[in-house]
Parts: sequence; C-alpha cells; structure tokens
Amino acid sequence: MNQLSDFTDGVFLIDFEFRPENGREGNTPEPVCLVAKDFLSGVTSRYWKDDIHSRSSAPFSVGREALCVAYFASAEMDCFLKLGWQLPENVLDLFVEFRCLTNGTTPPNGAGLLGALLYFGLPTITAQQKDTMRDLVLRGGPWTGQERQDILEYCETDVTSLEQLLPAMLPTLDLPRALMRGRYMKAVSRMQATGTPIDTETLREIESHWDHVQDALIAEIDANYGVYDGRSFRTKNWADYLQKEGVAWPRLASGALELTDDTFKQMARIHPKVAPIRELRSALSEMRLSNITVGDDGRNRCLLSPFSSKTGRNQPSNSRFIFGPSVWLRGLIKPKEGFCLAYVDYSQQEFGIAAALSGDEKMMEAYRSGDPYLAFAVQAGAVPQGATKQSHKVEREQFKACVLAVQYGMGEISLAQRINQPVARARQLLTLHRQTYRTFWEWSDATQDEAILNGKLWTTFGWEIRVKGQVNARSLRNFPMQGNGAEMLRIACIFLTEAGIGVCAPVHDALLIELPMDELEGGLAKAQGLMRLASRAVLGDFELGSDAKVVCYPDRYMDERGQVMWDTVTKLICKIKGGNLRQQAAPPEAACRTRTFL
Amino acid sequence: MSHDSIDAQSTTTQLGQNLQNSPFSSLRLTQNFGETLGVKKVLTTVPVGRPSKDRFFRTHPSPSWVFPGWILENKASGETYLVSAEVASALGDQVRPVELHAAIDRQNNPFLIPIPLPGPNGVRNRWHESLAQAVERAKSVWLRISANKDLGGYDIYEATAKLPDPVWPDITLDDLLDVAFKGRIITSLDHPIVQERLGKI
Repeated sequence: MNQLSDFTDGVFLIDFEFRPENGREGNTPEPVCLVAKDFLSGVTSRYWKDDIHSRSSAPFSVGREALCVAYFASAEMDCFLKLGWQLPENVLDLFVEFRCLTNGTTPPNGAGLLGALLYFGLPTITAQQKDTMRDLVLRGGPWTGQERQDILEYCETDVTSLEQLLPAMLPTLDLPRALMRGRYMKAVSRMQATGTPIDTETLREIESHWDHVQDALIAEIDANYGVYDGRSFRTKNWADYLQKEGVAWPRLASGALELTDDTFKQMARIHPKVAPIRELRSALSEMRLSNITVGDDGRNRCLLSPFSSKTGRNQPSNSRFIFGPSVWLRGLIKPKEGFCLAYVDYSQQEFGIAAALSGDEKMMEAYRSGDPYLAFAVQAGAVPQGATKQSHKVEREQFKACVLAVQYGMGEISLAQRINQPVARARQLLTLHRQTYRTFWEWSDATQDEAILNGKLWTTFGWEIRVKGQVNARSLRNFPMQGNGAEMLRIACIFLTEAGIGVCAPVHDALLIELPMDELEGGLAKAQGLMRLASRAVLGDFELGSDAKVVCYPDRYMDERGQVMWDTVTKLICKIKGGNLRQQAAPPEAACRTRTFL
Repeated sequence: MSHDSIDAQSTTTQLGQNLQNSPFSSLRLTQNFGETLGVKKVLTTVPVGRPSKDRFFRTHPSPSWVFPGWILENKASGETYLVSAEVASALGDQVRPVELHAAIDRQNNPFLIPIPLPGPNGVRNRWHESLAQAVERAKSVWLRISANKDLGGYDIYEATAKLPDPVWPDITLDDLLDVAFKGRIITSLDHPIVQERLGKI
C-alpha cells in the first residue's frame, strides 16, 4: 500500500469522544460518540453512544483494503477495544507523522491537532472551544439534547480537520512506514487496555500513612546527617556536612553545589556514606502516590505517550506511570491470582545495536560472547583469553564502565569518578575502546557528519530527527542506538500484542508481560522468541537476546535498587500502626527467579 | 529452557503473518551514514623524529615504506628538511644520510623515524644501532624505546598484551613524505637555509 488509491474499500477519517469509565483516571475509556467520514466519497456518519455500544463491529470497513486515519490513533483504538470491535487492519496516525516530520524542531503551536493545522496554515477552532467541549465530555452524562448535538458537532470538527490535514501532509508521508507506526499505535492501545496489576491494598496503606512515613524517614535517615529542616533539604547544612566529612563535591560554574540526582548517584558510588541521603531525597521528591492512576480493576493505566521523545520512545507521565517514580514503588506491582509477571529486557541493547549497525565485527563478536564487557577487555589485551567474571572482576567492572561511558558520551573525568580511578586510567580505557572498535568509531564519526552536513538522521524504519541550531554531538552520535532501540521495542510490542500475549507496559528497553501461571514456560519462551525476531527486523541478521525476571502470585515484583527503601517504608508503617500491619515486605530473593537467555 | 528451544518459524501473529521473515524487512532503511558524503580524515601533520619514551609504536613491515635520503636538521627551530643529492653534496657533513621508516602509534598517528646510515667505515654508533634494532622489531610487535645513557643506546620495551595490529592510513609513502616535509624540501642551492649554512647571507 503506497498510496491512498490502493485502499479500494475506503479511507475513513475517524474520531471518538470518550471519558474514563466512571470518570476515574486509570480506567479504560467509555466511548461517548463517533464520527467517521469517507475521505473519497465525502459521506459523514455520526454515531451517539447508544449507536456504537449496540454494534459488534465498526460501522465502516476495517479490512486489508481499507485505511483508518486519526490523530493520536491509540485513543481511537482504545475505544475499538472497549467496544469489542476488530481493530482496523491499516491505521494512519497523523499525530505520529507530524511528530516524525517535525522531530528535532519546535513547531510553534505544539504537536496537537490544532498545532498541526496551524503549522500547515489550515483553519482551526480555538483552543478554548476545544477545552470547553472536552470538559463537557469529561463531565459525563446525562447530556441534554443540545449537549449531545454540540458534542457530535465538536467531534465532527476534528474529522473535518483530518480531512484538511491529510492532503496537506500527504506529500510528506512515507506511507508504508507510516502504516507500520500506525500498527504500533494499535499495540499501544492493547497495552493500555492490559495495564499493570497493582497491590491496591498496600498502595492505600502507604497512601494513608505517607505523611507520617515521610517524617519518620527523615528522622531515621537524617539523624546521621542533620541536613533536613522539617521536610526541606537545606543546602547550607549539606555543605557543612560535606566540609565536616571532607567530601569534595562537584560544583556549578557559579560555585554552588551541584545537587542533581545524577550527581548524588555518582557521588554515592565514590562515597557510599552519602547513598542513604540520596535515597531519601529521591523518595521524598519523586513520590506523589496519589498521582499513580489505578483503575477500578486495580491496574495502573496511563497514556503511554508514544513517539513523544526525540528518539521516538514513549514518554508516559512520570507521576502517573508506575515505572515513573522512585524504583521502590515498583514493589506495588503484584500479579493477580493465577498469574505471573515477567520483566523481559533486551540484554545490552545499545551495545548490540551499535555493533550490528556499525558493522564492527569485533563488537559483534563481543556481544555474541554473552559478556561484552569482559570480551572487550580480552580484545583490548587487558586480560588474558579465558579470563572470567570471577578471575578479573575489577578489570571487567572498569571495562563495563567504559562501554557505558561511551554510550552516554561521558568524558574521561566523569568516567574516572565513576570507576574511582585516576583520570589517566579513564583516558586509557576510552582510548582502548577507540582502538579496539575502530569500525564503530568511524561509523559514529560519519553519523555526526551526516547529521551536521545533511541536517537529519533516521532510524531503520524512518523515524527522523532534524538537526538545527545548536548541535549536541553526543546526542547525535547516540541517536542511532536510542532511535533504533525504540524501533525494536515498538516492533516487539506489535509482535507480542498481536500474538495475544498480555503486555502490561513497555519500559525503555523492556516489556512487563503477564502470563497465566500454567502457561508461564511456553508463554515466556514465545515472548522472548518474538523479541529476538524484533531485533532481527531492526538489525538484519543480528539478533539480541533478553533477560527475564519472573514473579508469580502471591509474590510481588521488586526492583533490587528499591528493596532497602521498600523494607524501610513497610517497617515504618508497621511501627506507626503499632506493629499491626501484616508483613507486606517483598518476598525473599529466592522467590524472584531471574532467567537469562542469550 | 534455552534460546534455541524457540520455534520461531511456527510463531504467527493474529493476522496470520509468519514472523520468521519479518513483515517489515522490505521497509528497512540502511544506516550507512556519511557514505554518500565522502567525508574522510585528511592527514595534516606527520612528525619526523624518534618517538618519545612513553609512545608505543609499530613500523611498516614493507621495504617499500622505507625512504633513503638526506636530512638537514635545524636544532634551533626543531625543523627537519629533506634535501636533494645535489644539495647534500654541497652541504657536506651538515646533512645526514638516513633511512626514513614509516611508523604509527597506538592512537593511529603516523610519523617517520630517521635512522642514520652507517659511516664510511660501515659502522653505526651504538645509539643508531639500537634504534635500528628497535625499528626492525617494531615491524612485528608494539614497543617503545627509552634512552639509556649508561649503555649509550636505547632500551627496548615490548608490550606484553596481545594488541591488535595497526591500521595504516590509506595513503602511499610519497603522501606521507609530502605531508611530513611540506615546505621543507630543499632541492636548490638558492634555498635560504642552504645559503645560511654556506655562510652566504
């Protein structure tokens, strides 16, 4: 399908109005009305709530020869799923294509429908009108006859907008790849419908005691530091503490202490004694329990915001998404009875992508070894053939840090801090990377040249970034890894959701999937097989493996980085309640089985 | 459960597509950035001289990457000139007959090492002899040299790690010489440096 005329069963411009069921964020949508327009014939059909709820399928063709056009199509697909309708075979999402067209630039009026219309000089309703009508829909019924009329008309204005926008954008569209991105929007809907199971009982428990917990956390942890004044972190107190302890802390150009979480993270590696205060800061600043949107069925759902980042990755709200806030809160994720959850993430995805796309044979060999960090040390001549993780632990850690430093575009000073070694050692490691992986570095240099000379870069499936104004060379060099990593995960989402596997959420280079306990082995194998196929789709003949962490009911999911904090909070709640809280701590490590497949 | 236990060929989507051959493979774009731009690194500097004591290097194993010639050193300015046979005969012992060996360091920077040829009696001094030995060994191993004044020669330190062979730039020895002696090739007795050396200012 390369052009609109190929869709012999019709091109349908559609828009739903909807609100979360029972008006509760975290619930699936309740469709209120639908307007569909046949782009070629110009016939418009309007359907109110009852009309669509009584149908078992969409009132227009959704087969192979038809095209469905929408703006932010996952919302429309959410409604299809809610209504039990078969999803359209072909979806063209003009939001996604507008993002692709303008990625790297800042459209003056944003990437919403109004912004896109204004970008092409097309007429629009005002943002205020749009907000008023959206509020009317969100208010919920019953709606008066006039309100129904107004909502339908408002819905139709969005369809009319699509009718204007489609021809304007058509010359810029790469239709085959646009349909691939549209297919991902269907996967997004399926994932949003599945959601992540939450231990709502524990969530309520933490919520109800959070005020006291915060104070208790500060009292317990800050006792050794004296940094907090009430619930406020005092910079002066922190400076005093650092001076007293003789800790040299990074400063800004202004001379003020650098207080980003990244700095705390780095410094905690060098001076473990500052780690608890970093955990505390993180817990207090990122913790907004009430914002995590959990539906009536106890599942966390929020807009995954696909294609919102420059790399094309999803960018869900940090406060609404269970994977957004501090990692210890992931302990709230708990499989429902009879089910298991598997957190499946690609193994060293960026390294593998860099190896395959640059065609660096040594890098590919290192990836295939299963331990690219140790393989790098061997290839660089720093450790002998046959070295193992146990025999050369220190060297492996340093070469690992070097690989990650290259991926993050870190300089020798930052790397030296990270590995707690002299700058000369960091410089040596970075030089060894350049010497060992020459082909990769030539490709990386060429990537930067391409971006600067031709003004854009692209992924294997055509997600583009335009380069204008101030250039961040580090980001440009990293774009192929990040952008293609995003492509890979999108394809994995398509494969898994279409294969009927319950995907709760995509998390950077990982998927959280839900499997019936009695289908765990086969289901997990199938999921990992599909993820490998997704990697092949992006990397040609090169395949990436994945690691899976499995947790089954009644155990809860736990990110090991958050275990201590989780234990502390549950202990404090128990103390606050006078020891009456039933033990909710995470299961012993043995209950969280970790499997690695390469 | 193992990686190989997955029967990928039997895996199909709800839409019935066989995933062994990805439905997206025909849409894949190459990531050959810069290929059509023809951007290449230009060699702008090729030092001439002995490598410093902390610099590991290799020398080109091919005899065609050795250039015999005369050099004139200006110690005051640190410059080295390549001079023609005619000029060399006019300058007498102010020029040295040398072999210029192409060398490269671990950072992939090429340079030229001049080794003075033996004197009329066919004998080299110990410094030159040990330098020649180092250059010969460096054809197959990474090494560095360090002056040992007590012995009157260079100590040779070989890298013990198994380091990869150098990647030589895609140029000829003539290219290397052109860059190394750019503006410093003397072919005429009228050259100011020659005039100065002959006391004809």
